[in-house]
Amino acid sequence: MAGRAIWKGYIHFGNVEVPVKLHTAVKEERIQFHLLHRRDHVRLKQQMVCAYEKVPVPVEEQTKGFEVEEGKYILVDPEELEQTEPEDSRMIEVQEFVETTQIDPFFLERVYYLEPDLPGKGYNELAGALGEMDVAGLCTWTMRKRSYLGALQRSGKVLRLNTLRYADEVIAVQSLGLEEIPLSEKELEIGSALIRQLTATFEPQKFTNEHQKKLQNLIEKKARGEKITLLRPRRLPPTESDKLLQALEASLKKVA
Amino acid sequence: MKNKRSLRLPAKSSATPGRETALQGIWTGTISFSLVAIPVQLVKAIEPGRVSFHLLHRRDYSPLSRRMVCPKEEREVPPEEMIRGYEIAPDKYILVTDEELESLAPERSRTIEIVEFIALEEVDPIYYDHPYYLVPLPGGEKAYQLLVEVMRRANKAGLAKFVLGEREYLVAVKSTQGALSLITLHYPEEILPEEDIAPPADTGEAGEKSRLMKVIKGMTSPFHPAKYADARREKILKLLEGKLKKRAAVEAPEVTEEEGTGPVDLVAVLEASMRKMKKDR
Amino acid sequence: MKKVAEVAGRKLTLSNLEKDLYPSFGFTKAQILEYYRRISPFLLPHLHDRALTLKRYPEGVEKEFFFEKRCPAYRPAWVTTAEVAHGGESLTACLVNDLHTLIWVENLASLELHVPLARAASPETPDALVFDLDPGEQADILACARVALILRDLLSQLRLKGYVKTSGLKGLHVYVPLNRPETTFGDTKKFSKAVAEVLQRNYPDLVTAKMAKEERKKRVFINWSQNDAAKTMVCVYSLRAREKPFVSFPLAWEELEDFAEQDDPERLHVLPADALDRVEKRGDLFRDVLAKKQQLPYL
Repeated sequence: MAGRAIWKGYIHFGNVEVPVKLHTAVKEERIQFHLLHRRDHVRLKQQMVCAYEKVPVPVEEQTKGFEVEEGKYILVDPEELEQTEPEDSRMIEVQEFVETTQIDPFFLERVYYLEPDLPGKGYNELAGALGEMDVAGLCTWTMRKRSYLGALQRSGKVLRLNTLRYADEVIAVQSLGLEEIPLSEKELEIGSALIRQLTATFEPQKFTNEHQKKLQNLIEKKARGEKITLLRPRRLPPTESDKLLQALEASLKKVA
Repeated sequence: MKNKRSLRLPAKSSATPGRETALQGIWTGTISFSLVAIPVQLVKAIEPGRVSFHLLHRRDYSPLSRRMVCPKEEREVPPEEMIRGYEIAPDKYILVTDEELESLAPERSRTIEIVEFIALEEVDPIYYDHPYYLVPLPGGEKAYQLLVEVMRRANKAGLAKFVLGEREYLVAVKSTQGALSLITLHYPEEILPEEDIAPPADTGEAGEKSRLMKVIKGMTSPFHPAKYADARREKILKLLEGKLKKRAAVEAPEVTEEEGTGPVDLVAVLEASMRKMKKDR
Repeated sequence: MKKVAEVAGRKLTLSNLEKDLYPSFGFTKAQILEYYRRISPFLLPHLHDRALTLKRYPEGVEKEFFFEKRCPAYRPAWVTTAEVAHGGESLTACLVNDLHTLIWVENLASLELHVPLARAASPETPDALVFDLDPGEQADILACARVALILRDLLSQLRLKGYVKTSGLKGLHVYVPLNRPETTFGDTKKFSKAVAEVLQRNYPDLVTAKMAKEERKKRVFINWSQNDAAKTMVCVYSLRAREKPFVSFPLAWEELEDFAEQDDPERLHVLPADALDRVEKRGDLFRDVLAKKQQLPYL
């Protein structure tokens, strides 16, 4: 089942207004661990502790500050912050449309499904149009006191809304300071051949979270009192630059 | 550019770490495909623009941090005294050590092993979770560049799994403007089905649809994300600038202890420092 | 020839004062004692409460020497000692906590003074982390200087301050003061090993973190394993027992930078007269190694 409906709004552009409900689209399955005190297995709790006096500080004695410089803060009142909150609105304003292929995955943040809130209000037509044209609507909206930028597009039988990151939040590749290293044609040839050999079609169902299952097994084994054999992690020795060609050739032989 | 910030946001993590920080605790390891192994470090690709605040002690403006406290002894507990437990019954726990966790996938705890290459166009964007960059560690620069270049030429991305801490991630490694980027993916079982919220199979009014398509065409332009700014962030920064002009910032008392943001790989930090030093020289 | 002297209110019998313990250079026991007496205000704080390992050259630097961890049984009553663990047993070590003990120890021709990184009362708590830079056969002190300067930069990236001294032989020692009761040798060894390995990776022709002889020939070996409760380092201001009585002497980082540019090894070899002159002018450049509190990050 899709996740619960968390919000309601209207997609709006021109004189189009489509009422929708937002549902979460992803649910992460995780085995939850708690942190315990080693000696007596008492469950630890999280508290806000003062760095200076090293004591826990209750909520009444807490205040918010913005760090301008190390150790220097501008204090803010909750009321002042409230005033910066965007107006509540139920409108998901579509500003423009872009080709879906132009949206770099780096910009995608959270994804929601949209369910039509009332039938016959243009949902199907919109979904159909977006799907056929392979475009996404770039929209802005406010939800729970935060403003969002998002991409609205067709997703299987429904519409999907992705929140997007702002351009200045993406760290530029140039800042990584990578050097350009000359590569020989031979290395590039064999490398490319290797990729061809290892190319497959994307079949997501092949991939399951085996780790979760193994973790489950481990816990059950321990619950039964069985002994656990420890395997040490194996690290591959890095391929040295002058041995690169060799490693590529050996790999090609192996997979061919 | 619309998004220029006049008040510089510090790079320190906020008092409320977001979900991204799990992998951002800098990781070093190896990325491999067949018999080629490249030593790499995982680094952030996203720097959140949200203005983050620290919680301070009202009394002396000392910053507060989340610490684990033992409710019985009423004191903070250091990492050496902690152990992770899974609750199988109320107050009954099964303990799991770091070694036991690593044991579950011994090959994968320090290695991202690319098992196959795929065309990224085949990946429905719904699978994408969070992006990172990989940078080569000294000695691995050549093999790294090779992978970047051959993936670019073939226009393919590598699919791999790797383990970090309690989780195993499915990832796509792609060639991005001369570097390797890594995007964690959701497992198919984590993507919720949409069938139950889909409207009845009805393509709607054809006339209505083609009218819409005309409107959409009229509103279509190339994707320029820089056009959009975070309005709330701008408002908050304005508020803060205003306050700073009126009154100087308060100062927290000097704390000799270094605030940890969680276990960070020492070697990764040293390598990052070396890179910075070489750049500055 | 024996002579009875009064040192800081105590009577001491000094022997063989005219004996030339550095025959090719010319430095007698009397001169050695005089050096140590004059440098003592700067030296003693660094020896204080540390289990001394004597390195005795009774017949001079060209003859046999021996290490002595046990404080000689015939010591005067006023020599302070401490019980220390050594190889599963306990032994009584000398603590050079005052001038008369220093002179007494020097009278035994302990030309070199070696002490652990921890004090006797808390032998598992190092006060400092040390990077012992040791040049291989075909490397030299200039190479060490280069490594030390890179190390300084790396440490400053981590907001740590380091202090450098000559070993008195071919190498350099970089000390990172910690001075916190929570520090363990486990921490300092782990940290120094990580740094050594990262430097080796980044400067493979200049640095090695491995002890094996073949690796060390042309490189500077960062001996991180010195960060151990069982190991000792030559104390700052100690003489060395080589052909010439060079001193393990602290350097200002600017001096090392100058040296690295000019490449004149002699500039880094400090003789006793020079040492005395420099400390009297500039004081103890290693003073902060005893006082500065720092914490190793990312452990």
